[in-house]
Formats: sequence, structure tokens, C-alpha cells
Amino acid sequence: MIVWMAAFVMLASCNQSGNQAGTDPSTMAKEEILTATVEEIVAQPAAFEGKEVAISGMVTHVCRHSGQKCFVLGEDGQTQLRIMTGGDIEEFLIDMEGSTIAFRGVVKVLDTEQSADMAEENASMAEHTEEMAHSKAERSPTYIEAIDFREVSL
Amino acid sequence: MNWRKWNRWVHRELGYLFFGMSIIYGISGIALNHFAARHWDPGIISRSESFTYPSPLDQSSVDREVIDRILEITGERKNYKQYYFPNKDHLMIYLRGGHISMTLSTGAMELILVRNRPVFSEMNYLHYNKPKKLWTWFSDLYAFGLVLMAVTGLFIVRGKKGITGSGGILTAVGILLPLLFLMIYLWL
Repeated sequence: MIVWMAAFVMLASCNQSGNQAGTDPSTMAKEEILTATVEEIVAQPAAFEGKEVAISGMVTHVCRHSGQKCFVLGEDGQTQLRIMTGGDIEEFLIDMEGSTIAFRGVVKVLDTEQSADMAEENASMAEHTEEMAHSKAERSPTYIEAIDFREVSL
Repeated sequence: MNWRKWNRWVHRELGYLFFGMSIIYGISGIALNHFAARHWDPGIISRSESFTYPSPLDQSSVDREVIDRILEITGERKNYKQYYFPNKDHLMIYLRGGHISMTLSTGAMELILVRNRPVFSEMNYLHYNKPKKLWTWFSDLYAFGLVLMAVTGLFIVRGKKGITGSGGILTAVGILLPLLFLMIYLWL
């Protein structure tokens, strides 16, 4: 049994290092990263779709249910954008609320069918029934799949 | 060694190996069930306290001086982070370890302090596969092991109490029950 386990762990480890080798940092550095604001992405999602962007803003809310999404506030103090975990990000922590965070990630726009699926999923969760300041961003088809992030204040 | 001996060996060894995983997934499963039903939040411990600001406010009257006064009233001056207005009548002040939510027109304030619930937050971290990476494969292995334990478990006992006797009836009931819930909640 122990031999069996060890073989499995070794196989999984080999697979992981293979994945890491596939992400060549020199290739990544050559890709263009756009600096954008929350308001720009929300206003013109098509212009940013599929592109890697860097944005920053105060995190207003972190999803308590999964920690897999949070919301960042634009400089106008009203517009919010949904950020989803991606890459090696395990989760967003509640401690991020109220901190200014710089995110790097890819802008994604859900198609009609995906939006409908998300709406159905949200509707089934009791915590999504109350209208909140981030609700519009929560329902929006536009979001950023974060690759990494760091706190820039406090 | 006949197949029944192999069956018992697989069932016993997997049972020992995955005892810890079964406890983690079992306990966190109950916790997450009740989280989904909004009975209880297993991940965090939340405490709230109510305060009242001496006078009503509006957005234009809120400045750093007002924020300082609120922090003084709530005793949270050292934990201040930032604030914003979720809507015209609502002020949100973020703190390290919580926030203050204020209704400007009434001056009603609610201080909410949150912290991770020990043990459960760690179990949920694993149950939700937040570590990803190698944990994904190990928990897959556990899930496969669970299937093997279930199947081998059917053939541990022979005779009247085995799969060909009362054990078979119980197995059928265990399969039909989730189907019944699906019929009631999903299909009908």
C-alpha cells in the first residue's frame, strides 16, 4: 500500500513540474499587459476581452461561500468589477476587504448561455437574493480571471 | 488467496488509509451542508455590536474627522483601513478583521468583527480543494478509494445478512433514497 501511494505521489509530482515547465517566464514577459481602470473595462468589455490587464482598486467584498471571487471598486467610487481566482491563486481572503489590491489577469466575457447558467447558479444561493453594492458586478458577464495579485496599501 | 480474501484486504487497508480523509470530508461536509442552507457559517466566527452616531449624516458631511469620530465610538481606531459609500444612505468603513456599516440618515452603526473558525476553516479549505495542485490528485485518489471501499464493502459478509439477503435490501434503499430526493426537488 505504501509503495502504491509513493508511486502515485511521484507521478503527480512529475506531472506538476511538467506544467511548470510549460509556462516559460520569458514567453510571458513578451506578452502585452494593458494597464486599465475598472471603469474602462466595464464600459468597453469587448475592447479588453481575452487580453491580460493590470488593474488596482479597493476590494469591497470577498465571496464568503467559496473565496473564489471578489469585487474591486473603481475610482469613481461606484463601478465595481468581479475578479475570479485563476492560475495558482487558491482563494481570496476576507482580510482583503477594504485593502487596495493590484490584480493581473485576463478579461473574460461570458456568452449568453454562460450568463444564463451563472444567473441560475446565483439564484440558487440564498446569499445572492439581497441586492448589494456589488450585485451588478456579480451579475455582469464581464470579469477578470486573476493570475496574481498583491496588496498595494496598508 | 481467493477473491473474497483480496476483497477484505482492499476494504480493510483502504479503510485504515483513508480514515483521516473520511473524518475531514464527513465533518466538513456536514458543516458545508448547513452553510449552504444558511444555518451556520463554518468558516468564520462573526460578532456584531450596535452603536449610534450622535447625529444623522449625509455623504457630503462625511470626512476624515467624522470617520475618526466613528472609530472612536466603536473603539476601532487602530484597525481602520478605508471607507466608501455603497449607496447614498450607506457608509462602509473597513477594518482589519471586520467592518462598520452605517445608515447615514439614522446614524445607526453596526460593528461586525470576523475571524476564521479554527479547525473548520482548515477542513473546508481542503474540502473545497482550495490548495489545488497535488491535493487535487490526492483527494481524487481518496474519492476513488471511497468507491472501492463501497464496492468491496458489499461483499464482506456472506449469507442472510450479505448482499444476497438483507444487505441487498439496504443497498437498494440507499440507492433509491437519493433518487427519491432528485425526483422531489429536481425532476418533478
